[in-house]
Amino acid sequence: MGGLQTNGKVRPMKYALLVYENEQAYGGSDMTLPARQKMVAEHKAFQKDMGAAAVGGAGLKDTSATTTIRTANGKQTIHDGAFAESKEQLGGFYLVDVPDLDAAIALAKKLPVLKDGAVEIRPLITM
Amino acid sequence: MSDPVLDRTARAASGRIIAALAARYRDLDIAEDAFAEACMRAAATWPQHGTPENPGAWLYRVGDRCALDALRRRRTRQRLSVDPQEPEPNAEGMMADDATLIPDERLRLIFVCCHPAVAADTRAALTLKLVCGLSTAEIARAFLIAEPTLLQRLVRAKRKIAHAGVPFEIPGPDAWAERLDAVLSTIEVAYAKAHEDAAGAGRHAGYAPEMLNLTRILATMLPREPDVLALAALVRYAEARRPARLDDTGAMVPLSEQDPALWRRPLIDEADIYLMRATALASPGQRQLQAAIHAAWCARQSLAEPPPWGRVLALYDALLLCRDDPVVRLNRAVALSEVTGVEAALAHVEELDSAALRSFLPYHAVRADLLRRAGRMAEAREAYDDALALEPTPAERLWLTRRRDGLC
Repeated sequence: MGGLQTNGKVRPMKYALLVYENEQAYGGSDMTLPARQKMVAEHKAFQKDMGAAAVGGAGLKDTSATTTIRTANGKQTIHDGAFAESKEQLGGFYLVDVPDLDAAIALAKKLPVLKDGAVEIRPLITM
Repeated sequence: MSDPVLDRTARAASGRIIAALAARYRDLDIAEDAFAEACMRAAATWPQHGTPENPGAWLYRVGDRCALDALRRRRTRQRLSVDPQEPEPNAEGMMADDATLIPDERLRLIFVCCHPAVAADTRAALTLKLVCGLSTAEIARAFLIAEPTLLQRLVRAKRKIAHAGVPFEIPGPDAWAERLDAVLSTIEVAYAKAHEDAAGAGRHAGYAPEMLNLTRILATMLPREPDVLALAALVRYAEARRPARLDDTGAMVPLSEQDPALWRRPLIDEADIYLMRATALASPGQRQLQAAIHAAWCARQSLAEPPPWGRVLALYDALLLCRDDPVVRLNRAVALSEVTGVEAALAHVEELDSAALRSFLPYHAVRADLLRRAGRMAEAREAYDDALALEPTPAERLWLTRRRDGLC
């Protein structure tokens, strides 16, 4: 949680930037596809741009490579595919360490997205 | 709060004090609770030890102390080992004058409350609560929503601001546009509260000069935003008519019967310039059209000139195209009754959602007037009673009572 520290300084906040895109838009999961390669280059440039604000993150392989374990009434079952069936899928995330939400929004706005998509900004719980 | 000085001071200074505390401690709950605590301590000590020379400054200082204590308690709970330090003592703190002691952080707080990360339907309400000191009952009435719903939204919004790390800063100019609509809605509602009372008395009277001031600041900061300029114009047109809004007996005078000779011309001139600048920048949106309706009235030079009902109706027709809500429809019906006839207007009013408008005083007042003019006296009397039951201001009560008692 943000707020004033006892020394009068604002505590920096950590956020996860969760990137949702339609993976179909890339035309397949092959990393040699032109759209994939272009996106990798753009993300590398973005990471360089972020500098010290970036503290972690990763791109995720397609939902075709995803396995989901569901728990219902304490019973676990294993499924093929992503948890949520939706047009956009979670395709990757960044962990950033910035002073406040506006700084996180500014980074999220610069995040490369192929065509349509969304970036969710989630504050991290500090433990 | 029974102490009249405390009551007055708390109402007048609440926005300024809460804004200053929020800016200092970057926490809305701490600011709000600390101000409430300061008021409670004032209620307990002022009657015994006398009212301080500068009540506002007293409340701010005690509120500041309470906020610091609350912050300390919170840190202790979170078991942080760092010892809380006093905020830097500053020269201001030594002075006992409200204006210099309490830094004006209201614009900053407005921008925090109107952050796009706050739910769109709650931004203006939160601002009105924290910055303008409106009660939740008043805000619920202004937005035609149920009070419990509003309370829930306010709690959610404050939690979001705290947990998402919304910064307590005035944003850079590039971020202004997306927060502007909520900022402007807030000013609209706050000014409407001040305008409600024709006598310029009552607890919201102070908003009128505040809103003239805030719109001037915004227009200076954003000289190319047509909505900002239109609102600056609207507030001035409406405020210019204040000297003509009461008759000798203290009753409200309806707009079409006000003597234009009494209106404050310099303010109207200022408004004309703002509206011209807005019109030059963009084709008219809803705020420009609303300002234009006021402009149409304020162009009237004397009571001998016919009222501009035709032009007003045309403007309401245009307004309806970009903002179709019961309030606009209700106002349009008033113009329609003068241009087309009472029956047509009444038919439109009866089509409105009466449940949603049940606690909206102008709805009953307009209905009553139309029913009276249509000769349906018994129904008119009932509608006047409904309006009078909704706590009109003294000036409006006098006017409504006279109209009702004049029915035969």
